[in-house]
Amino acid sequence: MSSELFNANPTVFSSTKSTSSRITEHSAQSLWLRDQNDNSDTESEGNEVEEIDQDEIFDLIRTIYDPEHPNTLEELRVVSAPQITVGRNHIKVEFTPTVPHCGMSTLIGLSIRVRLLRSLPSRYKVDIYVKPGSHQSELSVNKQLNDKERVAAALENPPLVDTVEKCLAKPSSVAFQLV
Amino acid sequence: METTERLVRTWVASGREEEIAQIAADITNGQSTLLNVVKALGEYLVSEENELRSKGVELLSLVLQQLAPTTLNRPSVRTLASFYSDKLDDAETIIPALQGLQTLATFPAFGPAEATTVIEALIRHVKMKALTQNHRFKVFSIIDSVMANHRDVLKGMGLKFLDGYLSFVEGEKDPRNLVLVFAMDRVILIEFDISQRVQTFYDVIFCYFPITFRPPPNNPGGITADDLRLALRSVVSASPLFGPLGIPHYLENLVAVGRPAKRDILETLAVSLPVYGPKVARSFARKLWNSLKLEVFQPVDSATEELAVNALQVLIRTIYTPVEGEPEEAEIEGLAKDACEECLQILREPEKSQARPATRILCAFMTTTSSVAKYTVSQAVPHLTKLFINPDEVGIRPATLVLLAQFIEAARDSSSTDSFLLPYKDEVLGALSSGLKAHNLRLPALTGLKALVTSKGLLSDQELGFIIHHLNEIIQDHPDQFDDISDGILELLSCISEVSPQRVVEQTLPILFSSLPDSAPARDAASERAQIWKNLSYLQTLCTEPQLFETLVICLTNKLELLCSSADAQADLEPSAAYAHALLKTLANVLAVKVKRKHADVAKYLERLVVRVFNLFVHAALVPGEKQAVINVDPRLLQAAAQCATLVVRSLPSSRQEPFVKSVLSALITGNVQPISEGYFKIAREQTLSVFSPTSTSAQKDLILLFTAAIIPVFKEVNLEVPNLGQFLEETIKWILEGAGSDLQRNAAVHLVSVLVNRKADELQDFLESIFTTFWAKEILDKQSPTERRRWAVVSWTWITKALLVRNHTRALQFSEKLFEVFGDASINWGAAKGVGMIPGHDDVFTKDNHAVIKILYAQKYVRVMLPRTIEGSVDGSDTTKQVAYLVALAGLIKSAPKATYLSELPSLIPLLIRGLDLPDPEIRHNVIETLLAAADGETPEKSLVAEHASTLVTSMLKNCLAAETPAANVRIAALRYLAVLPGIVRYDVLHPYKAQVVRELGKALDDPKRAVRKEAVEARTNWFKYNG
Repeated sequence: MSSELFNANPTVFSSTKSTSSRITEHSAQSLWLRDQNDNSDTESEGNEVEEIDQDEIFDLIRTIYDPEHPNTLEELRVVSAPQITVGRNHIKVEFTPTVPHCGMSTLIGLSIRVRLLRSLPSRYKVDIYVKPGSHQSELSVNKQLNDKERVAAALENPPLVDTVEKCLAKPSSVAFQLV
Repeated sequence: METTERLVRTWVASGREEEIAQIAADITNGQSTLLNVVKALGEYLVSEENELRSKGVELLSLVLQQLAPTTLNRPSVRTLASFYSDKLDDAETIIPALQGLQTLATFPAFGPAEATTVIEALIRHVKMKALTQNHRFKVFSIIDSVMANHRDVLKGMGLKFLDGYLSFVEGEKDPRNLVLVFAMDRVILIEFDISQRVQTFYDVIFCYFPITFRPPPNNPGGITADDLRLALRSVVSASPLFGPLGIPHYLENLVAVGRPAKRDILETLAVSLPVYGPKVARSFARKLWNSLKLEVFQPVDSATEELAVNALQVLIRTIYTPVEGEPEEAEIEGLAKDACEECLQILREPEKSQARPATRILCAFMTTTSSVAKYTVSQAVPHLTKLFINPDEVGIRPATLVLLAQFIEAARDSSSTDSFLLPYKDEVLGALSSGLKAHNLRLPALTGLKALVTSKGLLSDQELGFIIHHLNEIIQDHPDQFDDISDGILELLSCISEVSPQRVVEQTLPILFSSLPDSAPARDAASERAQIWKNLSYLQTLCTEPQLFETLVICLTNKLELLCSSADAQADLEPSAAYAHALLKTLANVLAVKVKRKHADVAKYLERLVVRVFNLFVHAALVPGEKQAVINVDPRLLQAAAQCATLVVRSLPSSRQEPFVKSVLSALITGNVQPISEGYFKIAREQTLSVFSPTSTSAQKDLILLFTAAIIPVFKEVNLEVPNLGQFLEETIKWILEGAGSDLQRNAAVHLVSVLVNRKADELQDFLESIFTTFWAKEILDKQSPTERRRWAVVSWTWITKALLVRNHTRALQFSEKLFEVFGDASINWGAAKGVGMIPGHDDVFTKDNHAVIKILYAQKYVRVMLPRTIEGSVDGSDTTKQVAYLVALAGLIKSAPKATYLSELPSLIPLLIRGLDLPDPEIRHNVIETLLAAADGETPEKSLVAEHASTLVTSMLKNCLAAETPAANVRIAALRYLAVLPGIVRYDVLHPYKAQVVRELGKALDDPKRAVRKEAVEARTNWFKYNG
């Protein structure tokens, strides 16, 4: 078959439910219980601004596929909500490669960058780092991911862009997860 | 005789069909005989000239074809058979001879002796390689006929026939012939003694397997790959003698071929193994296992994996199915044991990805034979439970539980009577319940427990109580963690409540109820409020079973009554009202689920819930002069209560609806509320309502919402006992125009009128006539009347029309078309135009669930009449006011209409719709975009209706998707969705010039203040990024 995988048997975790469906203290600021089946009231409270937050960024990147496995980054615990920090115009995303020698780390980081590049307003500056101590060539990966020129150069490379697109593909109907 | 001779000569010269027909006709009606024909042919049949000989035989065969099968007697058939058999020897006559034999062999007089002669001659003379496809087909057809009618003859010929047959079929390639050959093969393999020619049969049959046939473009015979594949499968699996040869053949190919063939092999294997029998299966068990497991452990795709698992199951079943009469072996030896051990070896590391297929296989073993299932469970389950309690293996506990849960599910789905799990129940239950205690183990533990609970007759009531106890601990002690996995816990509790509702009612509900306070949390206590909402949502999910729901209703109505009665002179009533609303809404939501699931107990909540809730509102409306009551603070409470009323009344049979609906109407007309308002508050007999009185309070007027809600689901046969229904409706309409104090009240009253019109239209002729003439002239056409009043008159008109239309009433279209008359009237045309669009559309009032009188295809009928007129009006630019109204009507009409009704008009509609995008009303633009989206469904770049408008569409959608220009979020969402589909339906070269602009503009939409809009923007922008030629 193809060349050897960096991590042939990754541990698969369950994914948690989407954050948007939960009752939060934030929503309880309003006295009235919102009708869960009724989405039409997006119009009525038109003036309320919903800021981009940690969970929204997480929702953007959780479904990215791992280049080696039919699992999402969330299922492999490569990304998680607490590893994302959102500032006014600054976002920092930290991710954890499944094994320290993982050669796919740059590709994962690049996929995250491309997804955010396409999905966030341009006013945000995005930094992407591997979790400190989780990768043997941490520095070089970080450098590569946050160097504008290098990212631009990588995105000029059609086969690479192809691979990134595959990671960013929509979740297929077949569920690979265990739980 | 002479005629025959003449005809024969003519034919030999001309070859025309007429002569053949004539000869056949002569023989049939007795004017000539076949003997005459043969005599006439005499000179030709023995001619030295090849062509003439051939022609002679051909004529005979052609005549034969035209004769009825019963025409010939036995001697003639015998003569012909031996005649033709002789002719097979002659290269010039073999082809017409085959043709004749093909016909002859189907004749009833064709006996065993002839069969022997013919078959022997075929074997002796025919060289298949020298014949073309259609002639080979004739040979096979002859054999097929003999096979069908004189099988014993063929059997009697023994090896002579088999060898001859084998030489015929060898090397056959034509699919038309093969279908026939495979059918004969199967008969031979099953019925003939082939023991001495197994290898040869194997050679001529398995050489085709796995079949890789793709039908040629014109596909003569119309034979598909599937026809051949299935035919061949039935042949290779026909004889147990093929076992030792076939299995190696399958396995060899399995590794070498592509996916479709692989699937074919796996399916064939599953069919063949039971035929080949346990002995063969056992001797190849190892090899089969080694090959099949590969397909499971390294699957090429899930379908193949599925088939491989199935083949394995068949293998195990074939080997281990107990022979009848023999005692079942207690000890499992051989493959099942080895495979099990191999998988268990892998399961030592349950966290690795290989554990998943290993589990898959073991679980599959459980649906084979009960002895194997028992063995598998006895090996796997204790292994996993032991692994789970091993303190050194804490890290792999989550994975262990995941697998254990899968085993429990497999055991549940496979055992018919007693669960295989019974002996290990305690260990399993122990592992799972201790799993509930650790945060990271809860999800798999819940899955496992759910499988346990849903296994029939496995757990005792006491054990269920034990599980509930553990779940309660999570709910009580770790509310924050409970929140994360509430779905799983509630699902499990729901499963338990189906088996043992009393346990849940007694153990869990009190905990959830206890966290609902008697009075509302203060305005700023957001976290407290969030907790209440969460608890209510848990209760809502859990309390659908009758017993649980009963408890819920009692608890929540008590809370409601407490809230309504204890509110003192407290200044801030809103928090209490909001709390009451949350309680009502919870009840309404559970009711909605129950009604959908058709629970029978809903009906009894008329007295227990609806009347009691009515009591709260009626009391508050009747208490004069006092401070505002909690229940009246906000119309949302009314709406939630109304929802409950509709749901419950909907579930009543008409006999029970009747008294209640009568009482509701009487409360409206006479003011007597006694029968519909019994509960916490006592209402004195002399206190009466006057909803329709001009001097009535707004709280009283609001009750129309509740009353309407109770009447909306009325059956048409319910007797309303209103003395003069028409007059009542006219008074109600008058109240809509004059008396009502809010739009909510007006809308409710409009619904009330239209529902009654829908049910009772037959007895309302006079009322309809009066509306059609007097009301139209006085309330709608009269420009002196205040605009607001006219507007509501139009709304009432629209709803009456709708009520008539859904039941296909004859006046419905008259009413609808009248709306066009006011399209030029700027003060009401907008409403009228929206009405035209709204009338055929879906709504929550006239539904089958609400027992509305609905006839099929009413919308189609309506659209067929109204659409052409609307299009005509939209195109006509002479009067802009009218034209805009027509556009508005068009947008609405298409939104409401089923797509099929306007599909043919689409090309002319699209430019009109695009113009609608410039209208100021966001609702209309939303309708337009939704319509465009619906129209885009099924479009392809090759054939797109919108391609020529691409530029306008892109510009307009970009305008509609930015918060700065479009305040309505739903319009922005729709516009973004449309932008997202555009790249999929328009050719790249058309849209390409806009790509940069769209990507740039969508960048702004990414910064939208609304999360839901941003989500769509991301989607749309991604699609445009990926849009490359």
